[in-house]
Amino acid sequence: MSGYAGSILVIDLTAGESSSIPTERYREWGGGHGMGSALFWDLCRDKTVSGFDPGNVVTMMTSPLAGTLAPSASRCEVQGIGVQSSPEWFTRSNFGGRFAAMLKSAGWDGIAVTGAAKHPVWVRIVDDRVEIRDAREDDLWGLDTWDTQTAIWNLEVFKETTGWRAVERGKSGRTTAHSAIVTIGPAGERRSRIASLVHDAGNAASQGGFGGVLGAKNLKAISVIGTGSFRVADPVALLNARLEAKENHFADPDAEAMPTWERFARGPAPDVGFPMPEAVGSRPQACRGCIGSCRARFSDRFGNESSEVETSFYGPVTQAQRDADPDHRTERKAADLAQRFGLDVYELDRGLHYLRRLLVAGVLGRGKQVDIDLPWSEYGSDAFVDRFVRMIAAREGAGDAMAEGFWRAAQAWGRLETDSADGTLEYPYWGVPAHDHDPRAESYWGLGSLLGDRDINEQDFSALTFEPRAAWAEIRPSAIGAREAVAIVAGRLEPYIADESALDFSEANAYSEGVAGVTRWHRHYTRFWKQSALYCDYRFADFHTSLEPGHRGYTPVGEPLFWNAVTGDSLTFEQGLELGRRIWNLDNAIWTLQGRHRDAARFAPYIHRVPLKRDPADPYLVPMRTGGAQWAFRDAAGRTVDERAFEGLKTAFYRLEGWDPASGWPTRATLEALNLGPVADALEKAGRLGGAGSAQ
Amino acid sequence: MSPGPADPTLRALGRERSRREFVRDMGTFGVFVAVAAAGVDLFVLPDDVLAVKLSAGYLLVDSRKCSGCMTCSAACSIVHHGVVDDSRARIQVEVNPFGAFPDDIRVFQCWQCKDPACVHACPVDALLPDPVTGVRVVDPDRCIGCLSCVLACIRDVSVPCWDDAADAVVKCDLCADTPFWDEEGGIDGSRACERVCPMNAIRFTNELPREITDYAPDLSGPGWKLNGFRDVAR
Repeated sequence: MSGYAGSILVIDLTAGESSSIPTERYREWGGGHGMGSALFWDLCRDKTVSGFDPGNVVTMMTSPLAGTLAPSASRCEVQGIGVQSSPEWFTRSNFGGRFAAMLKSAGWDGIAVTGAAKHPVWVRIVDDRVEIRDAREDDLWGLDTWDTQTAIWNLEVFKETTGWRAVERGKSGRTTAHSAIVTIGPAGERRSRIASLVHDAGNAASQGGFGGVLGAKNLKAISVIGTGSFRVADPVALLNARLEAKENHFADPDAEAMPTWERFARGPAPDVGFPMPEAVGSRPQACRGCIGSCRARFSDRFGNESSEVETSFYGPVTQAQRDADPDHRTERKAADLAQRFGLDVYELDRGLHYLRRLLVAGVLGRGKQVDIDLPWSEYGSDAFVDRFVRMIAAREGAGDAMAEGFWRAAQAWGRLETDSADGTLEYPYWGVPAHDHDPRAESYWGLGSLLGDRDINEQDFSALTFEPRAAWAEIRPSAIGAREAVAIVAGRLEPYIADESALDFSEANAYSEGVAGVTRWHRHYTRFWKQSALYCDYRFADFHTSLEPGHRGYTPVGEPLFWNAVTGDSLTFEQGLELGRRIWNLDNAIWTLQGRHRDAARFAPYIHRVPLKRDPADPYLVPMRTGGAQWAFRDAAGRTVDERAFEGLKTAFYRLEGWDPASGWPTRATLEALNLGPVADALEKAGRLGGAGSAQ
Repeated sequence: MSPGPADPTLRALGRERSRREFVRDMGTFGVFVAVAAAGVDLFVLPDDVLAVKLSAGYLLVDSRKCSGCMTCSAACSIVHHGVVDDSRARIQVEVNPFGAFPDDIRVFQCWQCKDPACVHACPVDALLPDPVTGVRVVDPDRCIGCLSCVLACIRDVSVPCWDDAADAVVKCDLCADTPFWDEEGGIDGSRACERVCPMNAIRFTNELPREITDYAPDLSGPGWKLNGFRDVAR
């Protein structure tokens, strides 16, 4: 099995034992999410338990591509029953860095964690040796995520010779690397529902609250160091594919004009929420095997490995604060706080917005309805965000409510009904925060999130919106134009959609069967290529590029090219989509067993009632057909989601998937066609098998 | 008495002045060309110091441009061994995710030293300059596994490394022998690590680096700073 290490590690924390499963048994699922869902199906006996229950099973799976030359595919997919959403769903997140590659070097394709330890423990993996150790005796419990990792490095005393650490007997069992560690911080130890898993300085699996889940399992950290090897099927094809990708699909890192909106082509440009500091040294920082790099490391260490919302959720607000901080230390220190304490930055970001609105509304403050002791007069300072993050991580005062996530905090404060109705709390579905896409403007995003388990946060179609918005900000015409941009994507989505009209983001087309088709393609594509093959969301899907005259990106050529070179398969892009459909069906079966019904898949009321806000400085530009073959990017502001029409969209989606439109449950015919007969049996036994699904 | 320079290379150069000067002069005046043409790999200087033919190629690494993706080391083990094996990669990237730029990353490539301690240390002449290119290469059939070369390497992380499968030491050959690549390697061909590096932080040269710092030149192009990166240590 080229690309695979060969074994999956099962850690039974209740028994304090570990065992292994041959990866071969799950090979049909590809890797990552597919294997994780199948493992969860097999190992989690009662899928209706809370994520905090010892019966919950957490999987951390790699891909055969991890550690190889496949670009930007060395991620680790985390799954299990999450505790962030309301209700708690079987969910996913993933993280990059070097953990996945190191795990494979140790001989493991993934880890399944079952049960719960009686006292805090951590797991030490050295190649094929697995040890469950006492986290209190080793003084790890209570440490933040960074200190935990350095403490483990200090505990791991290897014989060092000529700069190499000898971790195995014999001459070749050596490495120059530190062990790769994924850990929870103080927030996870206190079972926060918004606690993340953190690896190295800035790789976090934050959605789902898996930090709190591992906290409930009394599992502080998993450390792995590996000195072995794994095969690739066609080394020549693999290297040549990588070289071709670099030479033809990737930007010159030394070029003066770096692509700004592209995905695969985008070079080493840290995606941080501030201009790169002038007076601080920096380098690009990449995950293992990444062709680009979206983060940086700095000479003053602040903000190492953080990017995106981590670096923008907090910063100076007054001119005096900005003038005093030309190097953007405040933003970078805030990112460090989130990483060290192990908290989800989307919750912190949307949560802070929410609190500020409540402050302005006069209901927040000492002794008021929302009784929070925060130094608002110092907002924008280091001291404020330090206090804010620490009180949540430590569950101090109002931090106890906020550690449950701001949806549940609003509930505890008696404000959920009003604030989710008027949009004061921007949590559109399942009690989780909106990411950077709004279902009022992008139907497929809302539908995919509602029929799944979380905000999808999959940027595959983002060039359709971000490129024109970047053009607007830079006062230039769109680099591609709406008509060409849509035509390129439409050509890649056949046969899921009939024609490019499916990509008309106008209000008139928001509930069409075409949108259902786009959403189906997206669910299937991401389930396999993004979450099982584990290509990074920063690079794939790559529909558009400025490097080619025709503006056609690397999708659908790149994805199977590397998969097949590594595994020896002859998998087509479309077969990958079909495997994604199988995985998506298994996921829906799990949600169905957990109690999912179509009636529960509904937006927060504000999505239906409050028009999308207009922002003249940053219009929400989306492609719309303006008549005949004419297309343009137009502002989606002012729109709401029509509740009845959206129910029709759900019905169309269920029918196309071959699910029961009355319940949203999978049907036997569909499951058996996917060779998932035992899954249908389990649903039938539970009385939750769909009845009248349309044929695929 | 103050300690000598921290770098073993400097210590060695200071101790063996006559050899250093000889090698420098030979490089300067091109005498080594004649030596290479005669097929002589090692020869004895008048003061009984063994001199070694210069390599005709060198890898230079600008570790300040390195993103730490380790694609170079993965490519190295793939083209040489057909597998991903960080422990057998002939270029090592040491990363401290919590470190401060530029010390958070150190890259260890073989310097093809003009005065190679690894060659001198080998008791069975299994590690010698290639007769044609001068690249320091291992003959696995002669290697007895004593690891003397590994211990002798002057870099902080030894670049020769042990290969259980081959039952011999392996080290950078500038991709002269890459059974899992269809391109010509070596000094007249391609080097996998150099080609694959997405940051263009590795460059090949035929010129002997004069100083240790010459092995780590500034390889940034005009756009590097415009893209946000600063070479400021603070």
